[in-house]
Amino acid sequence: MIETCADRVSVAFRLAAALFIVLNMLAFSACSRNNGGNGKGAKSSAAMDSTLVIAMLGDADYLNPVIGATVTSSNIFGLIYPSLLQSEFDTTTGLMNYMALEKKLREVTPGQGKKAPKGALAKSWHMSDDHKSLTYILRNDAHWDDGKPVVSADFKFSYQLYGNPVIASARQQYLAELVGADKGRIDFDKAIETPNDTTLVFRFYKPVPEHLALFHTSLTPLPRHRWKDVKADEFRHSPLNLEPLGAGPYKLKNWQQQQEIVLVSNRKSNLPKPGTIPAISFKVVPDYTVRLTQLQTGAVDVVENIKPEDFTALLKANHQLEIKTVGLRVYDYVGWSNIDQDEYRKSGTCKPHPLFGSARVRLALTTAIDRQAIIDGYLKQYGVVCNNDISPSLKWAYNNRITPHAFDAEHASALLKVEGWLPGPDGILQKNGRRFSFVLYTNAGNARRNYASVIIQQNLRAIGIDCKLDVQESNVFFENLQARKLDAWMAGWSIGLEIDPLDVWGSDLKKSRFNFAGYRNPRIDELCELAKQKMDPVGAKPYWLEYQEILHRDQPITFLYWIKETQGFSKRIEGEDLNISGTFYNVDDWRLRPSANIAQ
Amino acid sequence: MLIYILKRLLIAVPLIFGVLTLTFFIIRLAPGDPAAFFIQPGISPNVAEQIRAQYGLNDPLPVQYFKWLANVLQGDFGRSFSRAQQPVFDVIAEALPITVIIAGLTLVANFTFGILIGIISAVRQNTFLDRFLTVTALFFYSMPEFWFALMMIILFALKFPVFPVSGLNEIGAESYGPIGFLLDRLWHLVLPVTVLSINGAAGIARYVRGSMLEVIRQDYIRTARAKGLPEHVVIFKHALRNALLPVITLMGSSLPFIFSGALFIEVIFAFPGMGRVTVEAIFARDYPLIIANTFISGSLIVLGNLFADVLYAVADPRIKL
Repeated sequence: MIETCADRVSVAFRLAAALFIVLNMLAFSACSRNNGGNGKGAKSSAAMDSTLVIAMLGDADYLNPVIGATVTSSNIFGLIYPSLLQSEFDTTTGLMNYMALEKKLREVTPGQGKKAPKGALAKSWHMSDDHKSLTYILRNDAHWDDGKPVVSADFKFSYQLYGNPVIASARQQYLAELVGADKGRIDFDKAIETPNDTTLVFRFYKPVPEHLALFHTSLTPLPRHRWKDVKADEFRHSPLNLEPLGAGPYKLKNWQQQQEIVLVSNRKSNLPKPGTIPAISFKVVPDYTVRLTQLQTGAVDVVENIKPEDFTALLKANHQLEIKTVGLRVYDYVGWSNIDQDEYRKSGTCKPHPLFGSARVRLALTTAIDRQAIIDGYLKQYGVVCNNDISPSLKWAYNNRITPHAFDAEHASALLKVEGWLPGPDGILQKNGRRFSFVLYTNAGNARRNYASVIIQQNLRAIGIDCKLDVQESNVFFENLQARKLDAWMAGWSIGLEIDPLDVWGSDLKKSRFNFAGYRNPRIDELCELAKQKMDPVGAKPYWLEYQEILHRDQPITFLYWIKETQGFSKRIEGEDLNISGTFYNVDDWRLRPSANIAQ
Repeated sequence: MLIYILKRLLIAVPLIFGVLTLTFFIIRLAPGDPAAFFIQPGISPNVAEQIRAQYGLNDPLPVQYFKWLANVLQGDFGRSFSRAQQPVFDVIAEALPITVIIAGLTLVANFTFGILIGIISAVRQNTFLDRFLTVTALFFYSMPEFWFALMMIILFALKFPVFPVSGLNEIGAESYGPIGFLLDRLWHLVLPVTVLSINGAAGIARYVRGSMLEVIRQDYIRTARAKGLPEHVVIFKHALRNALLPVITLMGSSLPFIFSGALFIEVIFAFPGMGRVTVEAIFARDYPLIIANTFISGSLIVLGNLFADVLYAVADPRIKL
């Protein structure tokens, strides 16, 4: 019995070994077939010369503008679907501009306006004098890829999808000013009218500034004829999501989930034209080191968010790479709980936090932190000290008269002394028997914040504050933040291009879901409301200047630094124009130099 | 034996069911929210609420449990939260073949090289070769896989660009034809399979060496040598066959690995296999997908153990089932 079984085992092993050797031989023969297995050799193939490869951290969730919620998704469906208007961020003024074929919201500053309005579906628009209705005239030569015309009914249909609670679109906020929204239910018959195929009318329940109306009414449409029979509760898992029918410069060729999305230039498109590069591959490469390696070997052309510490080695290893940056849109901060969170959770009342409740203490903390040292040590020229949450890139609103609070440990100590914080026997500050000791929480997996938190800890220790560090898994960290369970934390925000900070600073803590610090200042509420009432954003400038001065004075949190996001690019890409509105904002105009022309 | 197998299978049903119930409650009680992504400035607060309603997360926990139970008993494990609401078994069906290919190749390599090295070490016990192999095996066995993978990438993709770093195929591989496509796929598998199998083979080599040394000292091996059999017959026909018996246990316990995937390797080499599905599901709090994965891996562990026990009984008549 033993013999026979052992025989079988032995035969199985022999077979397995033989199979493995054969497979390995095959693998190696494949390797030699590819020009000696050299990655660059494979790259010189015609396929690579006509394909732009962009590395992504994760897959797109949906290629459907109604439900696609990730940045990756919107980068991709933005190329597949047409848009009502073309939008562009004017880096000279920091204002968004919206363009139809024959009309622009603002005159384009010389040197700006690289995006041609040819891709817009609207010929023109008219905002009523009372700012309560917006009428678009659509072009009549736009067609979906199946040949059917793009008509006003497509927009109305799409907006009904965006507003359908069963579909739960992440963009339903855009419909918040439509007629009926104030009563909790949008009256689509009144809010969106389509008198004919080329006229589209939006009606609002209140006056809406023109730029905001244009922004909120230019959500990407879906073809009604294609989607009209799909029930709302089946919308998210409809097979049509895998076969998007658009009209934009690219169309979907292949979507291997969790691996690769391949778009090819849409030869039929006149919105604005077929994409210049024949094919774009969005490749999922989850590991950062591997994304870097791929960029270095030329297997991918674009990798986003390269860490500053990797620049030197990367550029030294491959001279055909360059680092590009976009505007300042992301900042990190240290959050201090302004109110006693335990008390607020228990009774809903707001009492000052025993450590961070005073603006003077918070100012002392900001002054004690050497923000420039964090920038010099980690971000280098890709970081700028941050004073408040209005980005220096939004030039029209940015208050450049504010001088950042300089690093000054002595001044910080003096401020704390005035507040009654005096050194205890162990060297840690004390007040009424309470030591100035707390835990600074941050989320796991962020090297930049890890670096900053260690410097912050040292800086605070130098003035007698005991700051312990704790890293939590991102989901847990965010849940604790929302539940107001953290007294001090480090996190970051990516700001919108339209200024609307009430969610983050509003005094009504139940409404202002992201006011984690519990900061309350009625003047901030007032300023935000006053700014919203201005029909021209530039008219709200004085309010925003004052807003920034108040934040600078009150220091509800310690704003650390603005981050220039850094993207790695292959030099074979030409015509790229990176912009604060996105790295891939004009990707349909990019060109690829053939590999033969690239100097080795 | 058939009755024994049936008994074990029957016991497995409540066992797996208990594991699933525990998982159901643990993941729901753990912090984190499947709709957390939709809680951010610029997104209406209603969205997270609507998404939770869609997923049925607004019901009290016992209600959720009984609804889930009713569906599972009908074989419906639900739709994934994080992957475009695909049915969970569709998600798994996409990831599984990739994992099976990698793990299958790895296991074959593991056992082939592991056994070979183990035999050489045992036969040449205490020689320089044995010590060299032992030290080398220990060296690789103790090396973290993700680090080793990165080192292999630096060596074979950056310094000596021989192998591709990630993905299953080259851009434009569809145009190579079916054979070319397959070869391209295998070319992409060389690095990950090597990383996984070097580590595994080193472990198996230690087992085989130990077991082989024990067998070589047995009387029947001395008898075989005494009756003048050539050494290779003694080693391969008499000693090896018996020494391999404990390896069967290892094979049984390797079964779940074939289906559960190797997370680090999948992340580093960008393979959309089961390891990534599981971990991404955990990070996204994708409850149905986590439970379906637990079901698959739980069942396989039970089956793997059963398989090993049965093989043991088949191989060794002293064990009665």
